[in-house]
Amino acid sequence: MGLSTPVRQVGRLLVGASRETGGAARLLVQIGKRLVPPQMDRSELRRCLLRMGYKSLSIIVATAFVVGVILVIQAFVFVDRYGLRSQLGWGAGFVTVRELGPILFALMFSGRVGAYTAAELGTMQVTDQVDGLRCLAIDPISYLVVPRFVAMIVALVCLTVIGNAVALVSASVMGQILMEVDQHTFWSSLTAMLTPWDFFTSVFKSAFFGAIIAVTSCYYGLATTGGAPGVGRAVNRSVVASAAAIFVVDYFSTFVLG
Amino acid sequence: MIGLVNVTCTFDGEKALDELGMHVPKGALFGLVGPGGCGKSTLCKVVCGLVRPDSGVVVVAGVDLTKADRKALQALQSRCGVQFQNDALFEHMTALDNVSYPLRRLTDLPPVDIEDRARTRLAMVGLAGFEDRPPNRLSGGQRRRVALARACVTDPEILICGDPTAGLDPVTSRRILDMIAGIRYESKNTVILTSSDVLGLMSVADRVALMWEGRVIHEGTPPTFWRAELPEVRRFLDDARLPFGGAPWD
Repeated sequence: MGLSTPVRQVGRLLVGASRETGGAARLLVQIGKRLVPPQMDRSELRRCLLRMGYKSLSIIVATAFVVGVILVIQAFVFVDRYGLRSQLGWGAGFVTVRELGPILFALMFSGRVGAYTAAELGTMQVTDQVDGLRCLAIDPISYLVVPRFVAMIVALVCLTVIGNAVALVSASVMGQILMEVDQHTFWSSLTAMLTPWDFFTSVFKSAFFGAIIAVTSCYYGLATTGGAPGVGRAVNRSVVASAAAIFVVDYFSTFVLG
Repeated sequence: MIGLVNVTCTFDGEKALDELGMHVPKGALFGLVGPGGCGKSTLCKVVCGLVRPDSGVVVVAGVDLTKADRKALQALQSRCGVQFQNDALFEHMTALDNVSYPLRRLTDLPPVDIEDRARTRLAMVGLAGFEDRPPNRLSGGQRRRVALARACVTDPEILICGDPTAGLDPVTSRRILDMIAGIRYESKNTVILTSSDVLGLMSVADRVALMWEGRVIHEGTPPTFWRAELPEVRRFLDDARLPFGGAPWD
């Protein structure tokens, strides 16, 4: 009897996780059905792109700048010890473009845009605004979810490309200041060693991460119950689930994409 | 116009509607009363197709909602106007945009006519001059009136008002109920109205039904409802602290 409680708790956890994963997967299928052919509110898409993409630019640029600087500071000891100054551009580029950039920008994006979306849809849900849309014969998935899904993917891909560029520029500047690696050495080692596939991997990962953030935030937002505290719970779950899913997908995509 | 037969609706194992039967004739102002949690809101959501019942038949304007697909449901919903208890106003829009939004989505009217009609509706609910205010700069009663204007701006065949007087002072509450009666009188639409202001509701409704634990247990005209001997009716009127005996309009 003593063992039954932990077993029951694990079981409950698994059932809850399955239910939420199933719910999110079902939402993804519904989004897919409305994307072919595209059924979405274009003005809502424009609003989402502006709010999620353009208005996130400053935070992503700031993060990217710091990432580039930290990367060089961390690498300084080893580059100096082994005399790898000529390889600094490649090292910084490889780490930023393939791994650090997409994952860090996705986490920042999740914290800013994903949390906002979960709170926005959650508030709409608990104040009957979503039902209000249904009563106006407006499909909430087409009107609310699909534009956010498309906007988050497009915005995160663009932000990751810009963020990668900013991180590399800041790394090159920091490399020159800290290790006296001139710009030509930095950029020539980067362009010689990095392939288009590396950049494609970055774009591919960020598109995937954008889709994950969109589905989880919209799912938890639309599944909100219980008034204002429920909105807080939805935001919390959305951010945690997005982060966990980003790491899991990153693990598998790194395996698959090499 | 609206018919429900043996409708059962369950949420998390609890029955919100329990083999409920009800008929609302065309053009009636049908009042629904009952204690909190008796299923009034669920019933309103079932009637406008927001909640699909577990079993039973729901026919609204000739459409069987239990068998209708998404398109048929949307077509029916475009013929309904719904006012939600907590207003459900779109917070990023002004009062005028909130009221004109259904016209923009559901009609092919030119923008000038849409704005004109929305302004007229806002004036009708006493909110001329409040067109450019966002919902967060309106009082509870004003928000409720914007929601009412939005629900009826398309002249829907069926108007469903889910407790439009909740949390309002008695004067504002009566004004809103009078507005709903006025809209029905002008538009000749069918209205389902739930309200915590029982006395006010009975003064405007043609028929009143008492819901109790997911069922409609009594239905009649306001005077017959007032005099009903059914223990639940007496208990409800007692709990609502209403005077017994003669109807106030006798």
